Amino acid sequence: MRCSLAFLLTFMLLTACSRSEVNNVDVTTNPDTGLKTWKTRDQAFSLELVPLLPDFVRAVFMAKNLPADVVGAISGYCVFGTIVRNQADVPVSYDMRTWRYITQDGVEHRARPKSAWVEAWREQGIAFRWTLLYEAQTYAVGDWGQGFTTVKLPPGTHFDLHYNWQQAGETHTRVIKDMACAPASLPDN
Amino acid sequence: MNQTVEAVWPRRFCRLMPLLLMCWLSQPLLAADPLLSTTLTALEPVEAPDFTLQDMDGVSHTLSHLRGNYVLVNFWATWCPPCRKEMPSLEYLYRKYRDRPFRVLAVNQWEDPDHVFSYMGELAVFPSFPILFDRKSVVSEHYGVRGLPTSFIVDPEGRLVYRAIGGRDFDHPDVTGLIDSLLEGR
Repeated sequence: MRCSLAFLLTFMLLTACSRSEVNNVDVTTNPDTGLKTWKTRDQAFSLELVPLLPDFVRAVFMAKNLPADVVGAISGYCVFGTIVRNQADVPVSYDMRTWRYITQDGVEHRARPKSAWVEAWREQGIAFRWTLLYEAQTYAVGDWGQGFTTVKLPPGTHFDLHYNWQQAGETHTRVIKDMACAPASLPDN
Repeated sequence: MNQTVEAVWPRRFCRLMPLLLMCWLSQPLLAADPLLSTTLTALEPVEAPDFTLQDMDGVSHTLSHLRGNYVLVNFWATWCPPCRKEMPSLEYLYRKYRDRPFRVLAVNQWEDPDHVFSYMGELAVFPSFPILFDRKSVVSEHYGVRGLPTSFIVDPEGRLVYRAIGGRDFDHPDVTGLIDSLLEGR
C-alpha cells in the first residue's frame, strides 16, 4: 500500500514537472542569421514569435502594391511573425492590447493593434487589411492564426513580453524573458 | 528472504525510473501539434451573405445558385503559408465529394488572376474547384473574416453552419467524417 502510494506520489511529481515544462519557452537560433525565435509550450494557448528584418517587412508590403509611405511606416516598427493557436478543448481568447513589452529601462510598451493600421490605411483610401494578426480574437477548438504583430521599438531592442489569454472565464498570464526585435540589418559575413 | 515493502520499493523505483524519465522528457514532444488542425466549429445557423464573383476565366459564380448543396467557402491568398499548405487537401475533399451535393469555392483575397494562375502551376495538384477573386476583400469583410485562411460550410438552405479559423487538413477523417454525416443528414 505504501509502495503504491509512493509510486503514485512520484508519478504525480513527475507529471507536475512535465506540466511546468510545457509552459516553458523553446528558444531557437537560426544558424544562418543568428536570429532567435520564441515558442511557448502552454497547453491551452501557444504563441510563436519570429523577429522580422525591416527589409523583409518592406518587401512583403511592397509586394502588395501598397504606397511607399505605408511600407516605410510599418517597416519602421519592431515586427514579429506571430502564430497563436488554441490547443485547449475549450475556446480561448486573447487581446494583445493588454500585452506589455517591458524594455530593460523598465518602460512598458504596447503593440500597435491591427485595427489601428487598417483604420490609417482606410483613411488613405486603401482597403488592404491582411498580413497583420488581428489584435483580439476568440478561437474555438482547433482554431489558430498567423500574421505580423508590431510594436514601436528600435531595431535590436531587448524586452520581456508579458502576455495573457482567457480560458473558461479565467485569465492566464505568462512572461517570455529577454526577447529581442530584429536588428536593422544582418551583419556582413 | 522476506523482503519488506520498504526494501522492495527502491529497487522497483530504480527499474521504473528510465520509463518515467522517458515519459517525462517526451511530454513536450507529445504536446507538439501538427501545423494543420482537423476540427470545424459548429455555428448557430445564420444566412450566409450572398456573393457573385468571377473565376480565373471570367465566369461568374453566385453562392445562392448552389442552394441544395453543402458549400465549403475558403478565404485564402497565395502569400499565406497555411493557405498553401491546406490547398492540396481541399482538392482531395472536392474530388472525393464531387458527385455528391457538395461544392468548394476558394475565394482569393487581394490578388490578380495572373499571379494566382502562376502559383497554381507550382502546386503538385492543380485545384479543379473554382478559384474566385475578391480583389478588394469586400466579400471576406461581409463574412467577418479576420485572418487567412478562414473557411465556412454553408448548408443546402444557404446558412453558415460550420467555421474554421486557420489552416485545416481537409482530407483528415475528422473532416471527411463530418462531411459524410452532413450529407447523410445525421
